[in-house]
Amino acid sequence: MFIDIDCSQMKKYNQNAYGDYFVSKRLPDEERLIAVLSDGLGSGIKANILSCMTATMLLKFIEGSQIPINKAAEIIMNSLPICQVRKISYSTFSAIDCDDEGDAKIVEEGNPDFIWIRNNEIMTPEFETIQSKTFKNRKLKVYKIKLELEDRLIFCSDGVTQCGLGSETLKLGLRREGLITILKDILARNPKISSSELSRYIINQVKNIETDRLPKDDVSACVLYFREPRESLIFTGPPYHQEKDKEYAQIFDKFKGKKAIAGGTTANLISRELNKPITMDKTISIGKLPSCSYMDGVDLVTEGILTLTKTLEYLENETFDIDNAAGKLVEFLMNSDCINFMVGAKLNQAHYDPALPIEIEIRKNIIKKMATILEDKYFKKVSVQYM
Amino acid sequence: MDKKISVKVCLGTTCFVMGSSNLQELIDTVPAKYGDKVDVVGVPCLGLCSIDWEFSKAPYVKVDDDVIKEATVDKVLKAIDEKLANKK
Repeated sequence: MFIDIDCSQMKKYNQNAYGDYFVSKRLPDEERLIAVLSDGLGSGIKANILSCMTATMLLKFIEGSQIPINKAAEIIMNSLPICQVRKISYSTFSAIDCDDEGDAKIVEEGNPDFIWIRNNEIMTPEFETIQSKTFKNRKLKVYKIKLELEDRLIFCSDGVTQCGLGSETLKLGLRREGLITILKDILARNPKISSSELSRYIINQVKNIETDRLPKDDVSACVLYFREPRESLIFTGPPYHQEKDKEYAQIFDKFKGKKAIAGGTTANLISRELNKPITMDKTISIGKLPSCSYMDGVDLVTEGILTLTKTLEYLENETFDIDNAAGKLVEFLMNSDCINFMVGAKLNQAHYDPALPIEIEIRKNIIKKMATILEDKYFKKVSVQYM
Repeated sequence: MDKKISVKVCLGTTCFVMGSSNLQELIDTVPAKYGDKVDVVGVPCLGLCSIDWEFSKAPYVKVDDDVIKEATVDKVLKAIDEKLANKK
């Protein structure tokens, strides 16, 4: 199973820092994923520091596997200081440690209970309560659950469940029930919605419910979706040893998922080896990127270095929905869970001619940066093979 | 009927940054001027920059089998005119 995870957030109005903090880490070797959502007391910078500290520390504790998640959470629960003004704990948190088999351990302290959805029904998992030895009002909920394909988990900060509080229609806020209604409604309409879309949808709904569309608290929604992975392959650059062209082209041809080619020479190579003609888009490209081409059985064919450089820039700046080759490549990447790169190591000397008006990056470097950003920022599984 | 003259504009990385982005206008202007006697297409890469040891001769355009180095709109139009004149 692939775990599609994303989190969307919104700041409390008039604040310039997020008071909730979300952090997640994939451990590909152990086929494991850890995520923590923490809500810091108050808002703005202070809350940001508190939640950031709690979330990152908890992640570090769990990641090392030296202590189990419930122990790690208990230690944090017992050591979080009390706010002098409000006499309550500095921050609340939810954490999940799960693997590709669907075994998940979840701990919660102070955050709204997570929502577990299977076949558009709400599951009611059993949990164990651990009472804090040092603070009477702190309780830890520990869950051990087994997830199945198509299950979803939704974690949120109280900014979601309490939105609209005191308004005409929602005197007590949205509450858990209201959130469940929203979730069931969107999932009935769009059962395959991705985690990033669903988390953004929740945040937008919250915004619409809030009076004057101004969030009165920090709002975070973290969604996990367990599904079959969407595999994709990007072939870029000709192989270093030309005699291997055929072999690599065959691998590309036999790949079952979605396929893209980035590079003119590369496209010609695949076309030659697989005997598939290329046609180029007739529309004249506006701006700084060549148009896409078409090849039977390939989902996307673009130019190489310029498009990849632009794609990286879009990924870094979270620029989506751009109508050019790089925008299409971004969309291709966003709609994949497991991304495989086949990177040819052959250099085209012409690219290093100083007469060329712009800096042209080395392909390997761009792919390396792209792999890192896809893993760290977009939680994708990435593999890179040099050839 | 005579065979059409084929014009291929290289839109590979080197050619594109060396000016073939501006040559794309040929895709519109040539059919307007010559009708269906000439066929203009963009191609992902003609593979010339990596074998031409002088390198900086990009952008390249192919008019039938003739390669135009450091191609400009004028050079390409001239080549098309010459081809058409020879055919007569």
